[in-house]
Amino acid sequence: MVEVKLEVFRGADHEGKPHYEKFTLDLPETTPILTALLKVRTDIDPSLTMRYSCRQAICGSCAMKVNGKSRLVCSTLVGPEIKTYGKIRIDPPGNMPILRDLVTDFSPFWERYLKVDPYLLEDPEHPNPKGQVTKMSPEQVDQFKETPRCIACGACYSGCPSVGEDPEYLGPMALAKAYRFVVDPRDHAYHRRLLKLQDKGLWLCLRCSLCIEACPKEVRPADRITDLKRLANQEIGPKESGSRHSAMFVTNIEDGGLLNEFKLARQSLGFFGIFGQIGKGFAMMRHGKSFMAHPIIHDLDSLRAIYVELNKKEDLKHRERPAGKGVKGEAPT
Amino acid sequence: MKVAYFPGCVAQESGKELDMATRAVAKVLDLELVEFPNFSCCGSGFIDETNEALNVAINARNLAIAEKAGIQTIMTVCSTCQGMLTHAKKVLAKDKIIKKRTDAALGKIGMKYSGTATPKHMLQLVVEDLGGAAKLKPLVKRPLKGLKVGAFYGCHLIRPHEIMEFDDPEYPHSFEDVIRALGAEPVMYRGRVMCCGFPIQFVKPLSGEKLAGRQILDAKRNGADAMATSCPLCHLSLDTYQKESGKAVGASLDMPVFHFPQLLGLAFGMDAKELGLPRHLVDTKSALEKLGAVKVPA
Amino acid sequence: MNHSHDVLVVGAGLAGQRAALEALKAGADVGVISKLHPMRSHSVSAQGGINAALDPTDSVKEHVFDTIKGSDYLADQDGVEILCKEAGPAVIEMENFGTIFNRSADGSLDRRAFGGAAKARTIYAADRTGLALLQALYEELTREKRIKVYEEWDALELVVREKKVQGLIGFERKTGKIEGFPAKAVIIATGPAGRIYGKTTNSHSSSGDGCAIAYRAGAYLKDMEFVQFHPTALLHTCILMTEAARGEGGILKNNKGERFMERYAPNYKDLASRDVVSRSMLTEIKEGRGFPDGSIHLELMHLGREKVETKLEEIVQIARTFAGIDPVTEPIPVLPAQHYIMGGVSTDNKTATNIAGLYSAGEAACVSVHGANRLGANSLLDTIVFGKIAGAQSGEYAKKSTASDLNQADVDLITKRVHTLWDRKEGESIVQIRNEMQSTMDDRVGPFRMPDDLLGALARITELKGRFKNCFVKDKSTVYNMNLIDAIELGNMLDLAEVIIVGAIARTESRGAHVRMDYPNRDDEKWLKHTLALSTKTGPSLSYQPVTITEYPPKARSY
Repeated sequence: MVEVKLEVFRGADHEGKPHYEKFTLDLPETTPILTALLKVRTDIDPSLTMRYSCRQAICGSCAMKVNGKSRLVCSTLVGPEIKTYGKIRIDPPGNMPILRDLVTDFSPFWERYLKVDPYLLEDPEHPNPKGQVTKMSPEQVDQFKETPRCIACGACYSGCPSVGEDPEYLGPMALAKAYRFVVDPRDHAYHRRLLKLQDKGLWLCLRCSLCIEACPKEVRPADRITDLKRLANQEIGPKESGSRHSAMFVTNIEDGGLLNEFKLARQSLGFFGIFGQIGKGFAMMRHGKSFMAHPIIHDLDSLRAIYVELNKKEDLKHRERPAGKGVKGEAPT
Repeated sequence: MKVAYFPGCVAQESGKELDMATRAVAKVLDLELVEFPNFSCCGSGFIDETNEALNVAINARNLAIAEKAGIQTIMTVCSTCQGMLTHAKKVLAKDKIIKKRTDAALGKIGMKYSGTATPKHMLQLVVEDLGGAAKLKPLVKRPLKGLKVGAFYGCHLIRPHEIMEFDDPEYPHSFEDVIRALGAEPVMYRGRVMCCGFPIQFVKPLSGEKLAGRQILDAKRNGADAMATSCPLCHLSLDTYQKESGKAVGASLDMPVFHFPQLLGLAFGMDAKELGLPRHLVDTKSALEKLGAVKVPA
Repeated sequence: MNHSHDVLVVGAGLAGQRAALEALKAGADVGVISKLHPMRSHSVSAQGGINAALDPTDSVKEHVFDTIKGSDYLADQDGVEILCKEAGPAVIEMENFGTIFNRSADGSLDRRAFGGAAKARTIYAADRTGLALLQALYEELTREKRIKVYEEWDALELVVREKKVQGLIGFERKTGKIEGFPAKAVIIATGPAGRIYGKTTNSHSSSGDGCAIAYRAGAYLKDMEFVQFHPTALLHTCILMTEAARGEGGILKNNKGERFMERYAPNYKDLASRDVVSRSMLTEIKEGRGFPDGSIHLELMHLGREKVETKLEEIVQIARTFAGIDPVTEPIPVLPAQHYIMGGVSTDNKTATNIAGLYSAGEAACVSVHGANRLGANSLLDTIVFGKIAGAQSGEYAKKSTASDLNQADVDLITKRVHTLWDRKEGESIVQIRNEMQSTMDDRVGPFRMPDDLLGALARITELKGRFKNCFVKDKSTVYNMNLIDAIELGNMLDLAEVIIVGAIARTESRGAHVRMDYPNRDDEKWLKHTLALSTKTGPSLSYQPVTITEYPPKARSY
């Protein structure tokens, strides 16, 4: 048994001043936090409101913030939280307007999801056979990785720092779903999907991996996003600022083995962008921070040999594309 | 302890103060830094986004270089380098196709990756191999008393937890343990495990600046006099771009940001110049004055 | 009036979404009202798989027979023929919609063994088949932008005039508004009502609202006394441990390490029908061969790490998270728990009820294809096959039907009723009434039924219904008021509990999942018939309907 000190967010934008309310319960260490919150509802205050349903981490209703971390409360136990933090602070999921207490408006989450066209897109000239199953090789099935496990709970989205700052960023769930369709052999919009993602919404992922920690189903959205970045760069080419930055980094390192800072900034920001950085440049120089230095590593040839072996364009297109992709036509817009 | 010293690109260029401080404190910590001028960039995550096999292979080369010299531990001083080297090691252990291609590429340059060298960040080395707080306390000549320091880990050092296997991915304590051992007071705030915005500083600068600004504000609101980071890329975001970050979040931040070894060096009694503090864009004077003894040359 | 549609589907799980898509195809203007976001529906909890005789060595006929035998001969055999005949096309269509199923080495849909099935015909997606299917349907629903989804609206009451449906009155959780939904046709697809019980695998939201509102509006409920107890629910939490665990080779053991199902079901052993396995486990426990914590052990260790961690990925995570057990190396403690209700809104083979324009499909309905006991992996099939039929039928009906005459007076009536409850300043505890209902059902209306227990249970429920009339909702907020929802759901559950018990009292035989200790045998002479319950002022009034036998006259049933 452990003394569970809860600090639960109460209130909303239009219903009184938001505040935290404290509740203390004695519960076994292996009790899920949801059970504790439901006990508050039944034994102490039925006006505490929240979303919940399955209690077994499959419906995705109960994503919240537990001591600042985005989690499903039904599959997060009280014991370890009390041990580490001494208390359990519960906040509604982040990056969404709060309706009341722990209930938020998931619209911005679903809107981003819709933007990735989350359904199979078939080539009308060569549709998938109807009335029969499209066969899938074990290799093709493996490619989905863990994306079929996604329950759209929003925990990844809730804690994503990039989603918080930029409405243009599609966010981890939508992108993991985009990946699921990009690799599906029954989907015929490989190029079109990557083109759309490459245009915007993909490259604002910071690879901070908070989504990997938050996800109750081991979907690893950040890893799938990195996969999408690779596929997009290979299929579409570096057409967007984030993708250009990555692609330029590759050649930048080939030059000298270490980063040529000035060259990278110049290439990423462009001539006018660099112009705007002049003030910064002078400030750096005043403090002795040279960014003009371009050290070259010893034995650069051995590094370049690796590039020769692994960075050939034609090579990439064949090897990196998901099995069975790019052979069919495209679905119309 | 003998380690292969992996400074990374920024510590050899605009972030040279990190390299200066590392060398200075290594002596005190009994760390023999073996240098390899043929170490390359770790890819910084950016190469990985374009060509996975290339990214793994160039890091396999880095690991193989240390292995060839018979050194087990590669010491990084950058959360991102640490993340990339560890990531490469894990991929090589799991992905047979990438391993095959890496072996072939390394074979062509007469090198072999055997998986025996382990990358470890200096913070990790201090807490896991050098004795942690117990080792540090007797080395402290100038306790950092009166200074409230907000640690900033840098995402790649602690996440994904499955890969990095160091401390807690969202509620770590190693850095704070060190801060306490040095006599300062650690400040707890959520921003310490969040993103500094560096990966998008050249992609969508305003969003990157906002991120940096938020984390600094969070530290400030929780009482920090200064921040200390284990990643020079974070330092770029938090220090070099602090002025822009403040503008982006509509606040004047005035937050000195130290590199991890600089904090050690200050506690070991070293002076500001030796530790490269004058190179920072945000003056560290306010923090140093709290410590009383140090005067920073203009 | 706003929210007017040709076809209004109540519930956005598998049956509801499939129906909506089909009704649209039939040319109807479709609305879907759901108290949860569609992806939160209980359908996602289904784990094991969906049956279809796709393999050339199997046949629809065999699937039909297994289902009828599983039903202990209470299923309507013409309905079962439809279910099994449409199974292949239904599963293939779900694959075409994008469901990510497990595949065999040759790329076709893989199959696994399942309870009561003579051949392996359960097509599956790891042990998250419900989720996989619902994802695919939801993707189709998303693509089809013409279907209006009223998300987080509760259906309070149906409006029926002269045995013809006019629509329903709904409650918006976000705002507390009560509004009318005029509709020519309504499909009840609200799924399970397991939270009538305390020990259930069902979600907290499983309160059978659609069944209750249909019942109160004059629809027959059929065979409600047939409640399925799933053999392998995780100890304490009652979270489902899929039958697929046994389908993949898992074994039940008693405290003597004995595979006791060899005694109770020499042929099918652990894959006998669910009612047989549940009763066997409870008998073992009663006779002292259960474990100290009161459980039976489900062993997967002999299957090897690879198989367990890939094919049973979800339950591995469930066991590790909720019970601290690693199924790869340790036995899982399980116990039977309420899982499914074979009964529901009475429909014919075309999902039509006794009320014009009112249809039902999925767990909420009772055709009957499951009779006295449902085979595993037949429910997912049921939802898709009959969901599609309900959509097509309701769409056709709506074309010919007159417009709804639902009016403000209808809305006002229900608004007044809700506010009488809501505005009350003091009264009975909802939590207490609910707890008592659940423990009454757990203790007295379980797998083994005693006449005194049943009568006692009825008296209890009657008393609780009386107290419910005076229950107190403390939360007066109009924004996301779960306290009020608790009360509304409780009212629905009490109505259904009463019907279950009354049916159980009346049925003096044992058949499938309904076992009477005082009538331990199946009595085809007197009881080869369906129970129909109609709501009256004095409680459920029972009548009976013959079972349709086409091919298989009832025989002795053993596994």
